[in-house]
Amino acid sequence: MGMNKKYWTGLDELNNTPAFQEAISNEFSNTERVEDFLSNDKLKETNTGRRDFLKFMGFSVAAATLAACETPVVKSIPYVVKPEEITPGIANYYASTYYDGNDYGNILVKTREGRPIFIKGNKGLGLAKGNIGARINASVIGLYDSARLKGPKKGGSDITWTDLDNEVKGALASARNIRIVSNTIISPTTQRAINEFSTKYAGKVKHVQYDAISYNGITKANLASFGKAVVPSYDFGKAEVIVSIAADFLGTWLTPAMYQIGYSEGRDVDNGKMSKHFQLESVMSLTGSNSDERIPIKPSQEGKVAAAIYASITGSTEKVEGVNEVVFNKMITALKGAAGKSLVVAGSNDPNVQLIVNAINQSLGNYGKTIDINNPITLYRGNDADMLALVDEMNGGAVDALIVYGANPSYSWYQSDKFNTGLSKVKTSISFNGFADETASRCTYMAPDHHYLESWNDFSFINGRIDLAQPTITPLYNTRQAQESMLRWSDNGSSYYDYMRTTHNGSYTSPMMATDSSWNMAVHNGTFAATVAAAPEATAPTPPATPTPTLNVAAAISAVKAIKAGTWEVALYEKITVGNGNQANNPYLQETPDPITKVTWDNYITMSPLDAKEFGYNVNLGQESAATVAKVTVNGKEMTLPVFPAPGQKRGTIGIALGFGRGAGNEEIGSAAYQIGEYGEHMLVDDKRVPIGKNAFAMATMVDGVPVYAGYSASVDITEEEYYLATTQMQNTVMGRDSVVKETTFATFMAEKDKKKGTATYNMVPALVVHEDINKDGVINAQDKKPTSEIDLWADHPVEGVGHRWGLTIDLTSCLGCGACITACHTENNVPVVGKEEVLKHRDMHWLRIDRYFSSDFATVEETSEKKDLGTIAAYRDMENAAENPRTVHMPMMCQHCNHAPCETVCPVAATVHSNEGLNNMAYNRCIGTRYCANNCPYKVRRFNWFNYVTNDKFSNFNPSQGEMTRMVLNPDVTVRTRGVMEKCSMCQQRIQEGKLEAKKAGVPVPDGSIQTACAEACPTNAIVFGDLNDQASLNTKRSKNVRSYHALEEVGIQPNVFYMTKIRNIEETEA
Amino acid sequence: MRFSDSFYNRVLITLALIISTALTSFASIHEGGDVAKGEQLFNANCASCHKITNEVLAAPGLGGVDQRWAGKDALLVKWIQNPQAAAATGDAYIKQLVATNVPLFGWMAGQAVTEAEIKDILTYVKTPPAGAAGGAAASAVNECQTLEELKAAAEENEESDGFIWFVIIGVIFTIIAVSAANISRSLKNAMNEREGLPAEVEHSYWYNVKTWMWTNKTFVSIIGVFLVCYFVVVGYSSLMDIAVYEGYTPTQPVWFSHSIHVCQNEVDCQYCHSSAAKSKHAGIPSVNVCMNCHKGINKGAITGEKEINKIYAAIGFDPTTKQYIENYEEKPIEWNRVHNLPDHVYFNHSQHVTVGNIDCKQCHGPVEKYTVGHQATIEEVNAQDPAEVPGLIKLTKPTLTMGWCLECHNKSQVDLTSSEYYEEMHNRFKATGLGQRTIRDIMEDGEITVREMGGWECGKCHY
Repeated sequence: MGMNKKYWTGLDELNNTPAFQEAISNEFSNTERVEDFLSNDKLKETNTGRRDFLKFMGFSVAAATLAACETPVVKSIPYVVKPEEITPGIANYYASTYYDGNDYGNILVKTREGRPIFIKGNKGLGLAKGNIGARINASVIGLYDSARLKGPKKGGSDITWTDLDNEVKGALASARNIRIVSNTIISPTTQRAINEFSTKYAGKVKHVQYDAISYNGITKANLASFGKAVVPSYDFGKAEVIVSIAADFLGTWLTPAMYQIGYSEGRDVDNGKMSKHFQLESVMSLTGSNSDERIPIKPSQEGKVAAAIYASITGSTEKVEGVNEVVFNKMITALKGAAGKSLVVAGSNDPNVQLIVNAINQSLGNYGKTIDINNPITLYRGNDADMLALVDEMNGGAVDALIVYGANPSYSWYQSDKFNTGLSKVKTSISFNGFADETASRCTYMAPDHHYLESWNDFSFINGRIDLAQPTITPLYNTRQAQESMLRWSDNGSSYYDYMRTTHNGSYTSPMMATDSSWNMAVHNGTFAATVAAAPEATAPTPPATPTPTLNVAAAISAVKAIKAGTWEVALYEKITVGNGNQANNPYLQETPDPITKVTWDNYITMSPLDAKEFGYNVNLGQESAATVAKVTVNGKEMTLPVFPAPGQKRGTIGIALGFGRGAGNEEIGSAAYQIGEYGEHMLVDDKRVPIGKNAFAMATMVDGVPVYAGYSASVDITEEEYYLATTQMQNTVMGRDSVVKETTFATFMAEKDKKKGTATYNMVPALVVHEDINKDGVINAQDKKPTSEIDLWADHPVEGVGHRWGLTIDLTSCLGCGACITACHTENNVPVVGKEEVLKHRDMHWLRIDRYFSSDFATVEETSEKKDLGTIAAYRDMENAAENPRTVHMPMMCQHCNHAPCETVCPVAATVHSNEGLNNMAYNRCIGTRYCANNCPYKVRRFNWFNYVTNDKFSNFNPSQGEMTRMVLNPDVTVRTRGVMEKCSMCQQRIQEGKLEAKKAGVPVPDGSIQTACAEACPTNAIVFGDLNDQASLNTKRSKNVRSYHALEEVGIQPNVFYMTKIRNIEETEA
Repeated sequence: MRFSDSFYNRVLITLALIISTALTSFASIHEGGDVAKGEQLFNANCASCHKITNEVLAAPGLGGVDQRWAGKDALLVKWIQNPQAAAATGDAYIKQLVATNVPLFGWMAGQAVTEAEIKDILTYVKTPPAGAAGGAAASAVNECQTLEELKAAAEENEESDGFIWFVIIGVIFTIIAVSAANISRSLKNAMNEREGLPAEVEHSYWYNVKTWMWTNKTFVSIIGVFLVCYFVVVGYSSLMDIAVYEGYTPTQPVWFSHSIHVCQNEVDCQYCHSSAAKSKHAGIPSVNVCMNCHKGINKGAITGEKEINKIYAAIGFDPTTKQYIENYEEKPIEWNRVHNLPDHVYFNHSQHVTVGNIDCKQCHGPVEKYTVGHQATIEEVNAQDPAEVPGLIKLTKPTLTMGWCLECHNKSQVDLTSSEYYEEMHNRFKATGLGQRTIRDIMEDGEITVREMGGWECGKCHY
């Protein structure tokens, strides 16, 4: 027994596709046979004979040797006047704030010798407690992007600032009217500058704010319910029951950085707390993958479900066709039992849906408990009706001057064509955008703003607090802060910094920051408490003491019920990596896999695998097997995209990500934003570079003047085309191997909470059958099992109690799979960006990946073969397929730093060896690239440098180490690896060494928590904790001894220093 | 009487004045302090700018300060503790001091010393112990290189690359030899022609060489074997020398003499290489650090104004007006790096300087004898007097090679009682006990080396 298991290399082999059959019959495909090659007549005509070749080779060897003998002359250029705060070799951190119109974060900028190289969260600060997520972390590379505008321009040619100011001022003075279009402005001083500008050109100026991803539906609904057009504060931590109707609040909805923290606080299982989370959605989102119960619905059903929930909790019963009734009823019962302790949110931007949700929360008494409408966040106050009006006005030729600040409507406005036509009718248009992007390149003047790392700014994210942004580097180019431009045109010569000081020193609002010392302290902290926020809008209505919502939702209910379901419906969603597309040129983000599909560098159509199979689309994607391209038509707009079979997708729906298709007009938005060909060149169509993916903003449906990101009536047609999608993970399930991922229910966990580690039913110490009479029954048989901890293949190398023993504990319950750790690791460790072509060949270099496993219909092979009446092999085959609506687990996977590491024993040159601190060291300069270690690693975490990513032209368009400027972002404490060597997670060795050195210099033991790996530091929910396992008091030691803690593949007996903690789901035992 | 009265009065007054002056000077702040303590304090606080003689360093020398400030003890204390406040008193002498010196040297920073400490310092300045400071400085000068030696070194710095002349001479000789051979053959041919003999068959040089070699087989084979052996040995050793840069002394844009600064002027290493204690880099001092002293000193003993003017040119300082030039475009000095570690090696100065308490000379050798920066050879390091380099460990491998690092890590011991960090490590060893193999390996010989604490692990320097 035990030998009848068969494993597949991938779905290709399993399903035995023709392509696979061809591939195995021709193992060394694509290579000419040697005899054919040598007998080729043309060979003789070549000029290079064998002898010549050998001569050349000999010469090259000699030349290389000689070159190596020469002493390299390296210049060392010290400062002339060294800034006092800079010590070469020591990093400085500056508190600052990130806000790009969509994402918001309190950050610490790490600079080395004056160069910003890393962005991390300012821990504990702000509502998100310094959680920033992947996008803000990766944003540092944008500073060095060579496509940034390097100075002001007029119609494509350079102009001086003085000329620009004179011309613009002239144009503005003669303009009949001036329009400013921007994202939501949350900076009091920026608002003040705009106000001053409006006063200067009194009566002519109108400021339109709109958000690329509109949340206007929420603000409109709140205006109707509470008289306030705001986005309230949600507290997911206080909610015991969470119902989300297609709101991806852990990934992309509103301010996920805040919600992730609250959510994990409410699911602190070790303290006996776990909220119950229901998710109803079409596309499997990050939030859906974390939910306890997930009900797939169509986009058109979002309102109907909300209406049904409202009806059910207010007395009557109502159900929605095609919605799992059992789970739905369970949800209603849970909600009813958690009045005032629940939270219902909806992702739809349809004001009607949001109105009904408001009514639900009001009926449940959640206002004032889990929802705070009196302390709203200031983000997302865009008004789409204003924007619609503006576009009409522009098309009517009534706008003389348009100033675009931060926004990119030519890309993100749902009718971008109409906007562009309107823009061409505007006499003078000025853009502050840092790139000559879709909008800026169409404007008369480009007056580029500083990058946020070069700017001063203040932001009021919530009433009572002002966060400050400070420059961390002198402006690299001849750019000027947008607000300063605005001031110049208002005849105010002040610098923006001085202007900002006067906002807070009493001359504009109360004198909070009148003295230099209090101001300097505020800059140092990155924030200060403002008792009275400098109100961005003078007309903000005074909020009533207690909300008295208008619960007249009858009209809304009938409106949502009137939405007709289509055979095919489209759900437009945002990816946690690329977001609304404003960082589409960011190679780190493009290469970070989508948390669910694991696809990099693309957007695509997500479709249920069952649908896809039925319609004849390819469901086995891989290196040799391309995705079928389909044509989607929705709201009269067509789009062709490859189809990705995504488990969990509601049948009859497809999902398309927003934020792609940037630079469709070949604009200069950065070379990484365009598709790259096989040899690193940009793909060209009609001499224009081809954008990555397609822009789906146009597919939004307008409801009550706001775009709703769904299409209710669509059609999908197969095309003849094929397209390769690069995924980092092809397997969907663990195929019953429960030693990789362990999970249990909350009830079981609570019942066995006080058991010792290794004895809980869901987490037993694995045992292997040995040829020894263990149970002393006189016979040696399969019952003679020995715990793996007592069996060892390797020589003893104990690290317990020897100085430090570094390790990680990773809690699968709190891991959300958001991917913040991936980008943090990527930027910290100079991990090369390899591009789509290489990811497609599974040569991605991420040191840390997040494995995503779906559940299959049955947990074990035995169960599958019994229930489905299948043989063992057929049962395994069946288990490769994810369930239609699977449960998901995210498992961060990096080098496990095994104490008995299999990689170390096979290295012929001892390039990878173990340290007494429990680390598996990798000496790059010793590695000769046999790749034995990678083959022997059970976790597949070792990465091989197939190319010299630093010099190879193939990567020049996106690898940061290749740009003159972008290479500045590299971490100088980490070696940039060369071709032919292995690399892998070092557990941020450079940080460990630095932390130890700090402790030694201070003469104290290393304080627990003072050293953080990049991944642990970036983790919003503390799912990853780093620490010294030899420090008995450390958090990490405690977690490693927790009843839930285990090693992945523990039965192999290689004793990793990375511990995982069992995933707990708040479901009933029968569902597990 | 009137006359005598007034005479007596004057005599009395004069006497009183003399006595009182004597008395005050006897009880003055310049005497009676603790000289040893004063020396310590002087070195810690004053020595980087002041000398105890009349010599100007980065500020006027303190020789004769007791006379210049006679009777103004309180004011002097104030002047030392807070120069600006002292100047505000309006004292005429201070006014004159400020007028002459501040434009030259800038204000002195207020010193955090008490009156008692000032007394110690000034006592030391007035009466330095024999053989100490002043005397020591003199003897140090004796140990240092003489001016002549330094001058010779300075001239050497003027680039003279002999190798190129060798090549040129070699080429000339070859041409001469070849043409001589041609001439001799032409002459011979001419001779043959005259004598009616047939012209010599024209052979290539290579043919001639081969013919010669054939006729002298034994000799050629012996030479051949010798050459092969020679090239193998030379080749092997030169291959082993790849990336070994012992003794590397690149020329520098500024002829900076460590000898003058370190040996004669006794400037501490970390005054200029200040980040060695804090950072991975020791740091090349920025020009503003040079200017701390060279604002005042604008003429060198050997190179005169030539080299010092280079730093003025970098930062924009006009030595004649003693003013910085406004809006000057700074020109950084492009030094040639002396100590080059490969990219894949992480080395941290502060680990060695601050934590390990290693003397700079353990790795950098007798820096006080160098002029421009120089990578010490292991022989130079080992030849140092262990009395001058506390804890000197003699090593065998060439400096800045991995073997050298490892050798030292294997020999140097870690004092587990030196800080709480190491005590904690020690406690963990003890708690785990010798039963465990790893601990046994570390603890059994009774001494704990850097190697045993992990100094030989790849990941400590390569990441």
